[in-house]
Amino acid sequence: MWRTVQRALIIALAGTVLGLAANAVSPRRIPYLMLPQAPPKAQDTVTLSEARDLWSGGATFFLDARAPADYAAGHIAGAVSLPVEEFDDHYPQVAAMLTPNAIIVAYCDGQECDLSRQLMDKLRERGYHNIRLLVNGWTVWHTAGLPTHTGDQP
Amino acid sequence: VKTVNLILRWIVGGMFVFAAVVKIWNVNINPAHEGANVTVTIRASAVPDLKTFADQVANYRVPPREVTNLVAMTLPWIELVAGLLLIGGIWKRASAVVISVLVVVFLIAIGQAVARGLNISCGCFGTVEGRKVGVVALAQDLVLLGITAWLAWRLED
Repeated sequence: MWRTVQRALIIALAGTVLGLAANAVSPRRIPYLMLPQAPPKAQDTVTLSEARDLWSGGATFFLDARAPADYAAGHIAGAVSLPVEEFDDHYPQVAAMLTPNAIIVAYCDGQECDLSRQLMDKLRERGYHNIRLLVNGWTVWHTAGLPTHTGDQP
Repeated sequence: VKTVNLILRWIVGGMFVFAAVVKIWNVNINPAHEGANVTVTIRASAVPDLKTFADQVANYRVPPREVTNLVAMTLPWIELVAGLLLIGGIWKRASAVVISVLVVVFLIAIGQAVARGLNISCGCFGTVEGRKVGVVALAQDLVLLGITAWLAWRLED
């Protein structure tokens, strides 16, 4: 019994050491501590009425950062799906539609949803700087009765 | 019973090795349907790439948020070591104990997410599955716990 516990601890320790070492040598290492999340800056967000005006203007790309199934269940009309958790798979298709100066509004769902911010970070790394967030986007949009679509097409 | 235990060991061990690999190397498996043809593209990072998994862990919103990255760095490697040992038949019982403890941790994480109504990806197998956190994932993990607890009880080192 005691021997099993000892060995279990050794396994856990070995995994921990391996994990720390592998991350330390990986060119794609992540920092040891995750920084606390600050609320999105005001200049990084759009209000619902701003979003509506941009949507009516027609020149703005709306990007849905949620999982494909959530997108299919309902999304802002015309919004393109770019699930941030599968970013590398979907990005090439979306990139073909975007220019570096494209005006982009990214959204997910929920007051604390972080997906659209993660999407914003990834797109900024790739040179898109005209991107802002609609916080709690899906909920505020559809509860305001603004146009939505279902299915996997925009 | 010995044969059953052997098969269970391979299944559970294989599952944990698979879960670890897809997390550490950020594997994506995408089936694309074109008419009757299904092409499956598999994409992975050549080096450990834990950013995506760390974000999935953070989505569970279990404080303290600062240690999220440490969890993301170490958890898949513990899964990997324990899974390999379980398959290889070395320190079988200790590996089954480690895996059982991990499953309990997963149950608590998923349970609190369900209780708080979080709409998040399970992340159990990185991004290769679209499974959401919910009662289904909870039930599946309970079944898994049954199997791993059985192994931890019956196997000998």
